[in-house]
Amino acid sequence: MKIRTLIAGSFALLMAALPLQAAGPNVIYTSAPGTNSSKIWIEGTANVIHTTWYVKGITIAGMIEVGPGFPAEPGQAVTPGKMDVQATNVFIRVRNLKSVEKDGRLYSDHMDNVMYEHLKADTYPMITYRLTELTLKEAPKAKDAPYVFDSTGMLTVGGVTKSISMPVNILPLEGNKLKITGSPRIKMSDYKVGPVELAVAGVGIKSGDEVKLDFEWTVRQRALPRPAASK
Amino acid sequence: MNRLILKPSPKARTKALTDMNVNDTPSQDFKRRDFLKGGSVASLMTLLGGVELFDQAAAEPAPAEDVSGPKLKVAVIGLGPWGREMLNTVARVKEAEVAAICDNFPSAIRRCAKDFPGVATCEDYKTILGNQDIPAVVIATPTHKHKDIVLDALKSGKHVYCEAPLANTIEDARAIALAAKAAKQCLFQAGLQGRSDKQQEFVLKFIRSGAVGQTVLARSQWHKKVSWHAQSSNPDREKELNWRLDKSLSLGLVGEIGCHSLDLTARFLNAKPTAVTGFGSLLVWTEDGRDVPDTIQANFEFPGNVLFAYDATLGNSFDAAYDMLYGTNAAVMSRDGKTWMFKEVDSPLLGWEVYAGKDQFYKDTGITLLADASKPKPAGGQAPDPLTTTPLYSALENFTRNASDMIQAKKSYIEAHDADDVEGLNEQLSTGVLLRPAAGYLDGFQTTVAVIKANEAILAGRRVAIKPELYELA
Repeated sequence: MKIRTLIAGSFALLMAALPLQAAGPNVIYTSAPGTNSSKIWIEGTANVIHTTWYVKGITIAGMIEVGPGFPAEPGQAVTPGKMDVQATNVFIRVRNLKSVEKDGRLYSDHMDNVMYEHLKADTYPMITYRLTELTLKEAPKAKDAPYVFDSTGMLTVGGVTKSISMPVNILPLEGNKLKITGSPRIKMSDYKVGPVELAVAGVGIKSGDEVKLDFEWTVRQRALPRPAASK
Repeated sequence: MNRLILKPSPKARTKALTDMNVNDTPSQDFKRRDFLKGGSVASLMTLLGGVELFDQAAAEPAPAEDVSGPKLKVAVIGLGPWGREMLNTVARVKEAEVAAICDNFPSAIRRCAKDFPGVATCEDYKTILGNQDIPAVVIATPTHKHKDIVLDALKSGKHVYCEAPLANTIEDARAIALAAKAAKQCLFQAGLQGRSDKQQEFVLKFIRSGAVGQTVLARSQWHKKVSWHAQSSNPDREKELNWRLDKSLSLGLVGEIGCHSLDLTARFLNAKPTAVTGFGSLLVWTEDGRDVPDTIQANFEFPGNVLFAYDATLGNSFDAAYDMLYGTNAAVMSRDGKTWMFKEVDSPLLGWEVYAGKDQFYKDTGITLLADASKPKPAGGQAPDPLTTTPLYSALENFTRNASDMIQAKKSYIEAHDADDVEGLNEQLSTGVLLRPAAGYLDGFQTTVAVIKANEAILAGRRVAIKPELYELA
């Protein structure tokens, strides 16, 4: 299914649910435009000392729909605790991920193909994430500081879905935007993704099981259509 | 144990960077080159103390890649001798699919269509541009015909690979480059294939590292005994085929062949020529009415008083084609896709020498350079396919992969953002997509400007200054 269809589907469901909500309008955010609006940086290890491999992605698609109490402005007073988040769906196309050098230059098409094969890109073209719970740990002490949350969600990689918990920072920006960042660590074996085995200079190397994923996703408020006027 | 550095040359890299856009194809030229490589050249290099610099990734067996995902549909426009070579090369790129071929002469189409059954054919390139299923075109028409096709192709949203030189006038080259610059959702690649060649990428890093010392001179040659004259039973076709022999259309040897050596040298020197002095003579092929010199010399002046001497002839094939860069510590020679370093006796030791393989040559010790040693490669495997490691293959492979990534990035961006966010999409495609090495519109434009001025100098037999503003697009 296309990402846009998924987003549109989520959006339509929310529209249908709106009349049932009593307390104020929810706000929907979708990926903000611009080159630097989303970044994915994955670092992994290998069974050779000092070997680190890097993967970069440039597009995160998806939407997040939050209740009226969600921090939308810098410095907005919000009570710590469980947040009213109706839905969050995030999609990353596997084939948008590229192996890179540490400085961000492309590394190897061969490595990319091996990665796509391990992630079963043809069968499962997208990595998806669905947030199930978001809890504000504490209100930020400064106006330009991010809100720090604990999050729990369902991450699907290569067709395997697992629950994942991680701290998430959300920084409200001007222009009705939110910058969402996080750095989860993931065990690839949890998703039945076996180690990548390659020969480098004639020496066989095997990638490590745990990878560190840094993401930065900037979303922008999406205007909701006005509900039809009642007779 | 000593190990011989001058390895048997894989056929893969027989095509010199300078051996392009000519009537004889690499296969016709192979045996002589093979002999030269296997015998005299290799022996000569050994005797002179040559150290081969090679890109391990290119030299070792190519990965047995299982390419999945959709193939990029590519149309080839222009089916002359070089166009056929490009067509066959596109067909070898795993991620590409030849979707259509085009030439304004039906016989040229028929000749190629035999090898590509089922592929769409047409005589008017606009038929291809109107086909939304074909996102990319390779333009291999005569140089003076590039402009209209490129501009129309970009306007149609096609990703464009345009052979170098881009045009035979600065005005046309500028128009092409400006159109490419403006078409932010389209990839434009100039056919300076050395920019995509892994070996040259490696040599560039080596030179930029300062290992050759201060550059004092550069020199390239292209020598081949070949008429450049093509025959056809159709007089109109014959005239059109021989556009290279007409100085009102052709940039001659320095343009059609020398652009690749000039681009390579300019890249090594990280500078553009400021002036060029040239001479040319029509000495051998005087019977067919041509007015383009068959033997030329051009001396390019680079900043810092570094000179690049280029000579080419259609009258003698001795020593074929190669590119030299001379530094105070070492000279580097590239030929037939391979590179050797000749160190000066007083050159300093390089750090990696301690770890590198060493071989004894006559009076000197050779040092093996292994580029990209950390890149993944399959263990074992077969010898590389000789036809898939040429600079042209690398250039078309990178074009295919980059264009595919552009398409994928566009699709993803539209999925993730508002569909009408054209500005954001343009920004994403022009700056956010990671691209493999390839000559862009500015590289193509600037090299074209330099060879146009060089051809001007050759035809006039004088020095021609190249003002810096000529290299600027707008």
